Amino acid sequence: MIKAEPKTILYFIWSYFDVLRELFDTQSQEGIIRKEALSLILERNKRDIKSQLIEYKILRNINDDFELRDVYYKLIEFILFEFRPLLPEEIEKFGTAISELFRHVKEGANADKAILVDRLRALSSQIKEFTDSVEKNSIRLLNESRELKSNVSRLDYREKIQRASFWIQYYILPLNSILDVNHSESITNKLLDVSEFANQKRLTFTDEGIRQSFEKLYFQLIQANDDLLKQSKLLTNELLPLIERIRTESLIITGWIEFLQSYNKIQPPRLLKPKKDNPYSKRVYVNTKEYFEQFKVDEDAIIVEDDQEYETWVFNKSKYKRKLIDSLPIENFFDWCSNQLKQDTNEVTNEKVFALTGLLFEDDLEVKSNTEEKVLNIQTKTSKISVPILNVKKNGIS
Amino acid sequence: MEYPEMHKQIVEELLDGKFILSRERQFEVIKENEEFYTIFFSASFNHELEITNEFARLVSDETDENLSRDISIFFAILCYELDRQGKNFLDALQYSEFSMEEINHSFDNSSWIDLIQSNKQLRDSDTRKRFILSTMGKRNIVDKVTDERFYFTSAYKVFIDYAKELAQSSLNDKQNNQTNDGN
Repeated sequence: MIKAEPKTILYFIWSYFDVLRELFDTQSQEGIIRKEALSLILERNKRDIKSQLIEYKILRNINDDFELRDVYYKLIEFILFEFRPLLPEEIEKFGTAISELFRHVKEGANADKAILVDRLRALSSQIKEFTDSVEKNSIRLLNESRELKSNVSRLDYREKIQRASFWIQYYILPLNSILDVNHSESITNKLLDVSEFANQKRLTFTDEGIRQSFEKLYFQLIQANDDLLKQSKLLTNELLPLIERIRTESLIITGWIEFLQSYNKIQPPRLLKPKKDNPYSKRVYVNTKEYFEQFKVDEDAIIVEDDQEYETWVFNKSKYKRKLIDSLPIENFFDWCSNQLKQDTNEVTNEKVFALTGLLFEDDLEVKSNTEEKVLNIQTKTSKISVPILNVKKNGIS
Repeated sequence: MEYPEMHKQIVEELLDGKFILSRERQFEVIKENEEFYTIFFSASFNHELEITNEFARLVSDETDENLSRDISIFFAILCYELDRQGKNFLDALQYSEFSMEEINHSFDNSSWIDLIQSNKQLRDSDTRKRFILSTMGKRNIVDKVTDERFYFTSAYKVFIDYAKELAQSSLNDKQNNQTNDGN
């Protein structure tokens, strides 16, 4: 158990990264950090942090000397992208582990489920470590090949060829065999077998949990295959032809490689930046936008469609008067109105009823209301009108 | 005060950051009036007039660093890939007509693919086309032949010279470090 808070440790790494980087470089070269080397580095950087390095378990004692713990070493290695080249034997060990685990998975597919799940998990982990190792190795070899190509160290031609041959013989060609799909013993081929098996089992295995494990494995293998293909292309395009490539040397290519490796830190060539002079204020756009926003109405405007169709009706007074007189005497005037309107027109409206009501005021008519009777309700298009029962007779005077 | 012919066009184009190429009439005018224009741009804008046998342009502290960096990355990867393919990249830059198809093929299969994909101007075929034909074309660094084909103008030499200087200074640094270590 480490006493310090996780954030304290991370802050420590951030604050003293320069020291850690020097320790990393030392360990990369010597394989160990001698106690004198540690004191020298701390003194040079004027940092008295030995006790914290040990307390936070960043450094580990190896007798009197020290080493960075694996996890910190790997972290710094990854952040700096400076990977140690792996010998082919270190990568091949994954092939052995993968083969063995796969064999057990195939043989024990119908046996104990718990061990099957454990083996699948272990297989997945080995495949992940394998693809990681291949990637790191390719990155390192690519950097070496670029350095040889750029030749900033000004090695003579013979020395360059020697170095290139060294890399090719001990690292590049073996890595190529490991990745070559056409090579029957390559790990890539073994992964294809595992992939086929996993593909089958993810669809046919009886237990659902294990089907899912096979499915996860299958998809991991698809991704791994893509990654390995990418590395293989790199090998073929840039690493295998290394000898050919270093035959020619060019100061310009050297310059470009140096540039691409640290383009963020170098000043590029000067290129004039055209200046735009505007004859108006820089804030014109913002000010105009603000001005118009004052008048913006946020409420939604709703338009109600008026679908009423208006029937044009002109009150023909003489016609209705004649009809009324022909129908006299009428016991219930408004009932008569209502019937007339229903016969002659499409709908009974208030307007029409009121128009006909005007007939009551003609001189030739005598109108009496029967107060004993209840009112009559006339239903018009928009209303219900309650009207009295009216008798209409011819006026006795005329 | 009498100004040389095409003065307005010359001033506009140079201030736009364009390379005025030796095949253009404006170039001759500038050459004939080199002293005048040197003083003119220095006094009026604080810019330095650079004339070679092949082009004229302005340089100044007002530099578009991002654009220059992107163009440099483009040239760097292009030269690297042409060299890797066994071609003479200098000859190619000087004489060859390029197609967007071959550029895309080189870039999409380059070992610098991570860098390419993280660069907004170069990450896919559309942005590359816009960058080369439009952005670089506007400054006369490339000459568009069709929608898919182009030449480089002599402006490429600015970038090649830059790479050479960078290499030289790296070599010098390395030698100095080696001498110091030896002491």
